[in-house]
Amino acid sequence: MILTGEKIKEEVGKKRITIHPFREKQLNPNSYNFTLGKTLKVYKEKTLNPKIKNEVKIIKIPAKGLVLKPDKIYLGHTTEIMGSNYYVPIIRGRSSTGRLGLFIHITSDLIDIGSINQWTLMLHPVQKIRIYPNMLIGQVTFWKVDGKINLYNGKYQGSIGPRESEIYKDFIIKK
Amino acid sequence: MILTGKEIEKQVKKGRITIVPFLKTSINPNSYNYHIGKTILEVSENIINPNKKTKAKKIVIDEKGFLLKPKKLYLGHTLEKIGSEDYVISLIGRSSIGRLGLFLQITADLGQIGNAHCWTLELTVIQPLWIYPGMKIGQISFWKPLGKKSLKYYGYYSKYSNPQRCKLL
Repeated sequence: MILTGEKIKEEVGKKRITIHPFREKQLNPNSYNFTLGKTLKVYKEKTLNPKIKNEVKIIKIPAKGLVLKPDKIYLGHTTEIMGSNYYVPIIRGRSSTGRLGLFIHITSDLIDIGSINQWTLMLHPVQKIRIYPNMLIGQVTFWKVDGKINLYNGKYQGSIGPRESEIYKDFIIKK
Repeated sequence: MILTGKEIEKQVKKGRITIVPFLKTSINPNSYNYHIGKTILEVSENIINPNKKTKAKKIVIDEKGFLLKPKKLYLGHTLEKIGSEDYVISLIGRSSIGRLGLFLQITADLGQIGNAHCWTLELTVIQPLWIYPGMKIGQISFWKPLGKKSLKYYGYYSKYSNPQRCKLL
């Protein structure tokens, strides 16, 4: 079951959902619109390997905007700190950004219950697109769960700003 | 309603969810991490036509890995047999892989209630990316349906456990 906008507002009031800062005008009938933070990360190398730490460089999005190109992955972040210990969040773009061909995640829309952070966005445009800091870029929905809850306590907990992949840690543990 | 990791584990024990092999370490707060199998189909058509059998090159990846290239479509498969006759399954990537720009499906995350098999993955990358057989690559979530379940899926793809090309024709 998905929460309505009214219910999201109620649960934010009860502190069972974190959306910070929370602006009522960003509520939709059954989701909440989030905004894009100022910082982006891009990988320094063209070819990526999950077994190694892929180095990144930081780019700040100027007020006049920044053009994203189709052949690169850009890691962005939500301005808002979001999450819940009671509901499962799922993120997606808004139809207004989708109509411009911008992906905001790469097949990983499902957020773990208990993951409360500025969430990393995986930006990928189909055609070149100019993006601006603080633009309304995506939406989050909240879903009721069935079963006992074990909260997220993973490697990306507490993220502020975009976080690059730390999958290389999977391979270290194996050894 | 989405099942928590604890509930997924409980339903696997009850036999209402099939995940074989099942590893407790692959349970997340509200999903399960699946691994990628060894066989990849590299689609070799310049223009894909749903009215024809898609030409593809079969590749078996070894420990050295395999380099996925942008602007190409690859079909892979889950190592696990996955299915449920009681819950709806959604298959996606994981954030550690999405952060590297690998899609695990192409706007087709919704599974059907029905039997268990290895699922075909629709792989495409934004930048060149190495993948390795058996690596944890994506996640599945389980959802409670509402209504009678008289229609179960035993369609085109349900009996296969290796990557399957489009069978629209």
